[in-house]
Amino acid sequence: MKLYEFEGKSLFRKAGIPIPDGITVRKGDPELSALDKLCFPLAVKSQVLRGGRGKAGGIKFAETREDLTSCVNELFAMDIGGEKITKILIEEKLSIDSEFYAGITFEPRELAPLLIISDQGGVDIEQVAVSDPDKVIQYLIDPADPPKFFDLMNLVLKTGVTGKKMVQISKVLVALVHCYFKFNAITAEINPLVIDTDGAAIAADAKFDVDDSALYRLAEVRSFHRGKEDIENPLEQAATDAGVSYVSLGHGNIGLIAGGAGVGMATMDMVFEYGGEPVNFLDLGGSATPKKTADALKIVLSTPGVEGVFINVFGGINNCEEMAQGISDVIDELNPSQQITVKMRGHSQDEGWAILEAKNIPLIKFGTTEEGVKLLLDEMEKKGVKSRVNTH
Amino acid sequence: MSILINKDTRVIIQGITGKQGQYHASKMLEYNVKVVGGVSPGKAGQKVFGIPVFDTVAQAKKHTRVDATMILVPPAGALMAALEAYASRIPLVVVITEHIPFHDAMIIRRMGLKEGIKVLGPNTIGAISPGESKIGVMPGFIYSKGTVGIISRSGTLTHEIASNMTYKGIGQSTCVCVGGDMCKNLNFIDILKMFRNDDQTESVVMIGEIGGAGEEIAAQYIKEYGYPKKVVAYIAGSRAPEEKKMGHAGAIISNGIGTAKSKLDTLEDAGVIVARKMDEIMENLL
Repeated sequence: MKLYEFEGKSLFRKAGIPIPDGITVRKGDPELSALDKLCFPLAVKSQVLRGGRGKAGGIKFAETREDLTSCVNELFAMDIGGEKITKILIEEKLSIDSEFYAGITFEPRELAPLLIISDQGGVDIEQVAVSDPDKVIQYLIDPADPPKFFDLMNLVLKTGVTGKKMVQISKVLVALVHCYFKFNAITAEINPLVIDTDGAAIAADAKFDVDDSALYRLAEVRSFHRGKEDIENPLEQAATDAGVSYVSLGHGNIGLIAGGAGVGMATMDMVFEYGGEPVNFLDLGGSATPKKTADALKIVLSTPGVEGVFINVFGGINNCEEMAQGISDVIDELNPSQQITVKMRGHSQDEGWAILEAKNIPLIKFGTTEEGVKLLLDEMEKKGVKSRVNTH
Repeated sequence: MSILINKDTRVIIQGITGKQGQYHASKMLEYNVKVVGGVSPGKAGQKVFGIPVFDTVAQAKKHTRVDATMILVPPAGALMAALEAYASRIPLVVVITEHIPFHDAMIIRRMGLKEGIKVLGPNTIGAISPGESKIGVMPGFIYSKGTVGIISRSGTLTHEIASNMTYKGIGQSTCVCVGGDMCKNLNFIDILKMFRNDDQTESVVMIGEIGGAGEEIAAQYIKEYGYPKKVVAYIAGSRAPEEKKMGHAGAIISNGIGTAKSKLDTLEDAGVIVARKMDEIMENLL
């Protein structure tokens, strides 16, 4: 679960990391009265979950009350890469002496957390790593024995910073490491970590991605409200509720349901490969009861533009009979006009096949995914639906 | 001889009294796996399909020799189950559980390395040496004994590709699923090293997917040290959008890292045969 900047900052503040004074306003409900506590000039920052906000003009500065009103109105009328702006964080503008970078991310080769710091903050750290690699200092964290204050001071000293500044930054790093572990973060980043003209270290931004699998034990993160305005695609929410993993691919007319992420991706690739255009990726995951299977199929059938559905599943951790029952239930309930084909084998395959054959669903028992894809495309064409649309 | 497991491997199941535990215990018995015990706290003395249940791994080990454990407990209990297996020095720990918190998975890895224990998973279907034994949740009958070793990140793609091979008369030595999570343990490179010295294995199929660097690390190993057996690789997710988690927690292209193209190019450069379509895997084995 990605957190908005203001949510991440609230976690930082509780962990003892200084943040600028500020308030969050929501579209249609701008509580500007609380602003009286803030001193101009102000930073007016759109709250979005994707990157590239600064470059897209999502951060503005206001010198006066009039400025502020126009900044807020402008931002609420904007989107960042398609993500509508529904929340704005208004903060006192910092008087910057210097800008640091501090972040913890997962290192894909060592498979452990990597702490990165740099005295070149406020810019894209990946670019600094390329243009000025000596300025990027890395420290591989032992998750069973996180670094202590003195380890972090030694690290900060490598940037050349000394004295009070060094201690300030090291204190923030201790709290950042603490937050990373406490909130089961996948990434936790402060960019920039500002040293203001009074010599204080302040987190001017917060990027937090929390592990979805750990939310059950993170009441504080769960309390962050996610409303309709936070969800780009309602079908993705329906899929989350149904316990399946769904990714919208934009346009196309072929809906996909796969048992397993690998088969899901491979099926998607093969549909493209044979000239079709998939509209979604869906991994049914484990514990596929008839209801879960039926919910998944309903989600795919209700995806705009879907004219055919290929269901490619295994009875491994799941059971063919239960999945077939779910498919059969949807056909009884909705009598969908879209072409459905199924490839299914594994545990309880004979029972599953019998249920699908009773519904006259074209079925691949022993063939490959490619054969299943071609079967669907052919069956759609027989019905007069154009299925081979991409000619790459 | 197969790798990791064979017909003599003595296995316990942690979480044997749960619905999944019971179901897969029965399927393993049908496959003639030597399931010598199960663990479920507070349920010692019970039996699951004749398999004795113990309160702890240490109790099971006191009673009988244990070569491997299969962990099939809910996500919140998986870290403790793994640490319990480590404490009893079970040499092979297979963590089937999906959705284990990422931070728990990092501790599972760190402590496994520290204790020198072989860990497979998390989020794996396990491993099968067809006709010999299996520790996992795969349907045994779609696999067949032969000379192709499979290493895969995806459970169901392993089923798909192994079953397609089986129907075409191509058997497998051992099929190992290294798991779909970001933080895993035994990886492509480790299993490649095992297949290298395995007499039964004549060729290896690597089934990768987007995200992470396991395939690239394996390719570097092959390039640097050479590999005496044919390796065919397939990578799922060529058409996956960036920054989207594709079902597996580890299947995500992040900041442009972990694309199918990067993996395929690195593997090809190392002399690995790259299959762009799944059917090409088999064409290259026939």
